[in-house]
Amino acid sequence: MRAAPGSVGWLLRHELRLAWFNASGAGKRRPGNAAIGLALLGWAALHLLGWVTVQRLAGVAGDDPRILFVISAVLAGGAALMLSSAIKSSVLVLFERSDLDLLLSSPLPSHSIFSVRLAGVAASTAAVYLFFLAPFAHAGLLQGQWRWLGVYPGVISVAALCSCAAMLLTLGLVRVLGARRTRVVAQVIGALAGALFVIASQLHSLSSRDSQGRVREMLDGLLRQDGMGGHPLLLPARAMLGEPLPMLLLAALAAVVFVLTARRTHRFFAHGLQLAASAARAGTAPTAPLRHRFGRSLFLTVIVKEWRLIVRDPHLLSQVLLQLLFLLPLFFLVFQRADVQVQALGAGLALLCGSLTGALAWIALSAEDAPDLLLVSPASLATVRRAKLAAAIMPVLALVAVPLLWLTVRMPATGLLVCFVVGGAVLGAGLIVFWCGRPGVRSNFKGRGKGGVVMNMLEMFNSLAWGALGWFLAGATRSPLSDTSALAVTGSGALAVVVLGAAWVLRVKRA
Amino acid sequence: MNAHPPALRLAGLRKDFGRPAVDGLDLVVRRGEFYALLGPNGAGKTTTLRLVSGLLAPDAGSIEVLGIDLADAPAAAKARMAYLPDEPMLYGKLKPFEYLEFVAGLWGVRADQAEPRARELLDWLDLSRHAHELTEGFSRGMKQKLALAGALIHEPELLILDEPLTGLDAAAARQVKDLLLAHVAKGGTVILTTHILEVAERLAQRIGIIRQGRLIAEGTLDELRAHTRGGSLEDVFLQLTATP
Repeated sequence: MRAAPGSVGWLLRHELRLAWFNASGAGKRRPGNAAIGLALLGWAALHLLGWVTVQRLAGVAGDDPRILFVISAVLAGGAALMLSSAIKSSVLVLFERSDLDLLLSSPLPSHSIFSVRLAGVAASTAAVYLFFLAPFAHAGLLQGQWRWLGVYPGVISVAALCSCAAMLLTLGLVRVLGARRTRVVAQVIGALAGALFVIASQLHSLSSRDSQGRVREMLDGLLRQDGMGGHPLLLPARAMLGEPLPMLLLAALAAVVFVLTARRTHRFFAHGLQLAASAARAGTAPTAPLRHRFGRSLFLTVIVKEWRLIVRDPHLLSQVLLQLLFLLPLFFLVFQRADVQVQALGAGLALLCGSLTGALAWIALSAEDAPDLLLVSPASLATVRRAKLAAAIMPVLALVAVPLLWLTVRMPATGLLVCFVVGGAVLGAGLIVFWCGRPGVRSNFKGRGKGGVVMNMLEMFNSLAWGALGWFLAGATRSPLSDTSALAVTGSGALAVVVLGAAWVLRVKRA
Repeated sequence: MNAHPPALRLAGLRKDFGRPAVDGLDLVVRRGEFYALLGPNGAGKTTTLRLVSGLLAPDAGSIEVLGIDLADAPAAAKARMAYLPDEPMLYGKLKPFEYLEFVAGLWGVRADQAEPRARELLDWLDLSRHAHELTEGFSRGMKQKLALAGALIHEPELLILDEPLTGLDAAAARQVKDLLLAHVAKGGTVILTTHILEVAERLAQRIGIIRQGRLIAEGTLDELRAHTRGGSLEDVFLQLTATP
């Protein structure tokens, strides 16, 4: 049965359809049949995994404080990730959807629109987690272990709570910072929430053996206390394990918070939207003298223009830099082992610089805002593109210049080798985009991988090849290369050359 | 070679997108002329202008800009003309002077010429008071005016404009029209397309009407009237473009 046009159900259907379209990444069409087929195949495999897992865990007592503690920890991590994606969704529905003017100008009440938007955020947040966890509930149902069904209310309730928190945070930021900055700050907070989960998951490995022992003793002490299993903080874990009362309490809490958020803040939501709409039109008050210089060479003119565009786009800049955030846990981990520090430095810098150059080169070369302007001008397109490549490479090299100089002064041989590797990674990443990059738009920075699969594969192999070279060459300055390492150096070097060769062969023909 | 070649000469110009968009178009626009190219939607006006500006390559035919063959010497031809599409080619994160600085760089205009010219254009178009603002916050009219300033920064001999007055308010439209007339008065050539027939009627010295990629009529307004049952340009236009 179809909901009546204009009803909440009808609006919810519209919202879910938009979320479904957004699942394809491009946001313009629904996911393709191949993607749906692949997802279904993966889901079937997850059911198999769920069957085996549920079978093995059949004898485990659900009220064991240790189990509850582990589930609580996983749930806390999952909630951080949910909060992260809910913040991103809130930013999307508040700032990036272009249908809100239409909806708000219609006779639909604004609280219905806000409630449905909030429900849409919660649904899209929960959907990802249910995709992975529901197979376990289904397996439990088939094996007569009803408690696994707690996954459904557990995930939906936590997702609803996180979505309310995310929406309130985003709207609060609009009030404090204004709409213009909120978009950037909320996305940074969202990404940090996600990255913190990854970093926190490494804390155990990062801490010393003494610290690990102390933490273990403290936890043992806590868990031995009488009545620990009934601690309110463990309530969500109990709900996830299908205990009826905690499950009901968690669902009731989520429902109350959802209703209060939707009822009490919908006016604030409409106000936030008006601010977001007016932010794009707001002018900048003159704060500093105008800085411009006519008469630069074409090369320099293009470089200055590219840098201005990047520096003045904090949203884009934050997305570029946040990419690097996810590599940090890896470095923390490898830097803990003193015996691999130099190798880690070589590999890490090559990976970081390669990734950063690839992102900046895509922005400068592929995401040109006014390509027709360049084409109608008499300027040499080759010179313009070389300048754009330089504009992408120079900031990265400037960023690593100081650590590389420090390394070269302390360990000249290692420093020079790492300089070579970083230079290779940067130049390789830049050239791959230079040759194989296809036109895109800056606002689609996150989805740029979907526009050029070949280019992204080449970029990845380029970074891996130079990273491996960095690891082995830097290590060679501390101890002689073994036969295996020598073979790895040769293989990595060959891969780097082959990747560049492939990029040249696959280069896009330009007019 | 002619000592004073026309500003634009199109001969047998053809462009096909599955169906002919420009179909053997022959056109000559004289130097110092204000020429309006009219036609119904889908007649091939924008495609013609994009071919002339070098954004599209023709399937057949030739384009000469001020006596320079566009296919042989594109950079030399582009250096002497400017193209302003209906959607301004701007950078939202640049301020007006920075945009003009970039455009002047693309056309290689010397600093001692570009800077005073930029000030003059921004003053004329009433954009100087917005010099501190990023163009992303500009209204449609302000963007269009800034793009026009960019097109004029290198003082092109041939200025090609596609619907330059769309979305402009009366005051902004007047500023743009005055600037175009001043450009012609100084010896420059203007070719524009417009759906506002009153603009063509009042500004253009000659009017060309195309339909289905072909020039079906050309001349002064009086000459066009003489070929039809007369009346206003709107009457003439509707008679000429009426589906047979």
